[in-house]
Amino acid sequence: MNVRAEQHDMDCLTIPATGRTPGVSFDFGSGHLRMTGESYPDDVASFFGPVFEALRCFLNNPEGGPIRFDMELLYFNSSSAKALMNIFQMLETVARGGRSVTLTWCVEENDDSMRELGEDFAEDLRHVVFEMREMPAGGSQ
Amino acid sequence: MSFNLFAAEEEALAKARALEARLGALAPECLPEFRDLIAAFELSTREQQRLVRVSDRLQAQLSDANHELDRQRSEAEEALDNLREAQEAMVQSEKLASLGALVAGVAHEINTPVGIAVSCASHLADATQAMRRRADGGSLGKAEFDRYLATAIDTTDLILGNCERAAQLIAGFKQVAVDRASAVRRTVNLAAYIQDTLVSLQPKFRPSGHAVAVYCPTDLELDSYPGVLSQILSNLVMNALTHAFADGQAGGMAITVDSPDADTVRMCFADNGRGMSEEHSARVFEPFFTTRRGRGGSGLGLHIVHNLVVGVLMGSITVCSAPDLGTSFTLQFPRRTPDRDLPVETLTK
Repeated sequence: MNVRAEQHDMDCLTIPATGRTPGVSFDFGSGHLRMTGESYPDDVASFFGPVFEALRCFLNNPEGGPIRFDMELLYFNSSSAKALMNIFQMLETVARGGRSVTLTWCVEENDDSMRELGEDFAEDLRHVVFEMREMPAGGSQ
Repeated sequence: MSFNLFAAEEEALAKARALEARLGALAPECLPEFRDLIAAFELSTREQQRLVRVSDRLQAQLSDANHELDRQRSEAEEALDNLREAQEAMVQSEKLASLGALVAGVAHEINTPVGIAVSCASHLADATQAMRRRADGGSLGKAEFDRYLATAIDTTDLILGNCERAAQLIAGFKQVAVDRASAVRRTVNLAAYIQDTLVSLQPKFRPSGHAVAVYCPTDLELDSYPGVLSQILSNLVMNALTHAFADGQAGGMAITVDSPDADTVRMCFADNGRGMSEEHSARVFEPFFTTRRGRGGSGLGLHIVHNLVVGVLMGSITVCSAPDLGTSFTLQFPRRTPDRDLPVETLTK
């Protein structure tokens, strides 16, 4: 599992971004989770598998505090989109259970279609607080 | 009726809701679980709609990227066309410049015999004037007359010799210039033609002490394009003068001609200069390759040589060089240039 140089312990999951896979930085201690870059992995299961595993572990912990999820992907393919929707459902489930969850959908300025996708994706979120944030275009982090 | 991509899903949901009503009456304990199923189906349908939009967006981005790629490609192609035109223009002006150098060289060369002829003629005129005065005064002696005769014979010999030399230079140059300008095919004696071309170049290399030795069979006749040959030779000489020799070094160049077989001419142009690295020698025939950018090098001289040897003489050219070991170019081409469909004018233009 360590082939992608990911670090996974109880407190965080960090996977550096590659050309095809996003950067993941889940700081479970502070409840700040973040995905950046672009996502069109060759093998969705082998990339998102460990991500979901760690996330499920974190969300199942009943003593968890508030969660802040920053979705900063600039580009993703259809399978990644389905994976994101699954993550949103997992967040919605814990939010319904009373945990504070804020999801920030970050779009580059002028990327109207990405903004519409975000609004679309937020359609099923009732308990998660959904925010839209603009980033300067081309400002990769 | 408006088109609905998800009509089937909505129909299924409508049926499920109808079933939900009947289930409420028949088996109310199943109702919560059934409602969960309906909710899951609804969610799944919405996700499907979203995924279709994601996919359409990706497709649109791909199409935009392809259009952009097309646009950039046509831009690049246009830029390449412009570059080719510019290159042709530069090749043309380089050729004009080399013709200009040829004219200047010949003018310089003719200056010497004409200058000698003029001063001899002037000396003879002075002596004749003096003779006439003596004759008019009736005081002309035999010894004096003999001296005058000796002077007259010497100076007329010199005048004649130098005028002949000038005429010869002009004839040679005229032929070279006509050949250069018209790219006419004719039979030519190679050894003599090499000499004619070198004459026009002498002012370029003689002041620095450089010398060109020619080893060429005197009976070798070519049926080819001598103007092209002359252009090739002067570009090779100019290239050697520009690059091969350090300042103040008197360099040597040699043109060696032989025939590996009756129908082939092999001409080797060699210098004993500083040579060049393998990296440079691999690129010498590339257009615009120059180590003297900004110092008068256009990077076209050897490119033109290559084009003329390959394109007009239908031969080949190779370069052999190593640092401090000089440079040699070996040209091999048919003694009688094969006939072609294309007029040579278009190739040398």
